[in-house]
Amino acid sequence: MAPPKTYRCEAIILGYSPLGEADLLVTMYAREQGKIRAVGKGARRSTSKLVGHLEPLTVVRMSMVNGRSMDIISQAEVVESFAALKEDLTAISKGLYLSELVDGFGSEDIANPPLFQLMIQTLRAVQADSASDMPLRAFEFHLLQVSGLMPELYHCVECRQELEPNAHRFSPNVGGTLCLECNPDDAHLRPLSLRALKVLRLFDRSSIAEACKLSIDDGLADELKSLLSTTVGYWLGKEIRSNSFLERLHKESLPEVYI
Amino acid sequence: MSSENIPGAAPSLSRLVQELNRLPGIGPKSAQRLAYYIIRLPDDEAYALADAVTSVKQNIVFCADCQNLTDASPCPICADPRRDRSILCVVEDPLDVLAMERTRSYRGLYHVLHGVISPINGIGPDQLRLKELFNRLAEPELTELVVATNPTLEGEATAMYIRRHQSREDLRITHLARGLPVGGSLEYSDETTLTRAFQGRQEL
Repeated sequence: MAPPKTYRCEAIILGYSPLGEADLLVTMYAREQGKIRAVGKGARRSTSKLVGHLEPLTVVRMSMVNGRSMDIISQAEVVESFAALKEDLTAISKGLYLSELVDGFGSEDIANPPLFQLMIQTLRAVQADSASDMPLRAFEFHLLQVSGLMPELYHCVECRQELEPNAHRFSPNVGGTLCLECNPDDAHLRPLSLRALKVLRLFDRSSIAEACKLSIDDGLADELKSLLSTTVGYWLGKEIRSNSFLERLHKESLPEVYI
Repeated sequence: MSSENIPGAAPSLSRLVQELNRLPGIGPKSAQRLAYYIIRLPDDEAYALADAVTSVKQNIVFCADCQNLTDASPCPICADPRRDRSILCVVEDPLDVLAMERTRSYRGLYHVLHGVISPINGIGPDQLRLKELFNRLAEPELTELVVATNPTLEGEATAMYIRRHQSREDLRITHLARGLPVGGSLEYSDETTLTRAFQGRQEL
């Protein structure tokens, strides 16, 4: 059966690039369709009915028309604009980090509604508290989960023994946590403290909003950041470019004021 | 398009088509049409086009002050003594200077960033002309900085970065008004634009 000529979708805009004289090539992640690249005809003109509706980090309800090579956006209506998030430089940079990861992990034509929902919930958490990195850590963990890459946290991935309440080791390459007795030849192997393991297990049974209530010290935050961003980068298979700007802002850590 | 010759076309013509095909927005068919158009041009017009391309590559430099593209540094705007040196307008790229000059309503100076902060594309503050901007902000006669980056997410992020990193407390920092475009429609406006248009309403 031929696919429908037009369809509706609800999607979060991940980014766009200029196309031709006044068009935009928009990348979005749709609840029911997965990742979509579509053309916004004339969307760069200030009087276009699409202008303002296709900004990154915006949830949009759209009408689409199947095109020969790419779909065309015929109508767009903002559902959630995350306006407060977009007035905070740190929050924007965190939102763009989420966008890059969803773009990297999302597949075209394969729906993954939990991934769509995960991004929206995380953006809400970032908007509520842009200073906390906990939403990003919880997002990275759940991203692995909804992508079918959930690391093993309860048994050693080598000997399958239940993990004792001790420090262990972790490697994305073997799929999670290892006991101290098992020594596979693995360049990605790294230490995993008991406290970090407990936080990962907490992420496993909590929503993003619940995980964001957790308060941890800087040492544990650094360990989780290194472990989760390395694991996500391992599966992505390329550098996460928005990370360097995020790191830069973190180092500068100056008070921010919106114009 | 591959570097191989186009079947049935002379090698020099193939080369011209391939070079035109590199231009943004020019596909293989458009490149062929343009190439055949150039072949049919009178000699003086074709050579004038070639000369213009050569000249622009040989002569264009960055203005030492505003970083705009110019034949000689400082550029005509920076060198013009009639321009108001108390106000500096920051824009994303040289085309924005042309757009602002068309209004004939701004008589201050410019600073061209040559892009915006775009973390996803790996473009950070160091890839823009921000260091040069912050150096210019020390000029004592400067009293206002107008940040005229586009009202996009990345344009706004760049504006916030500039606001965050400039150190002069006595400097007035503004950005262009947000709101409805002339010829636009309330019905199709997004909520952010409408909210800002409402906040910026003026006496009739």
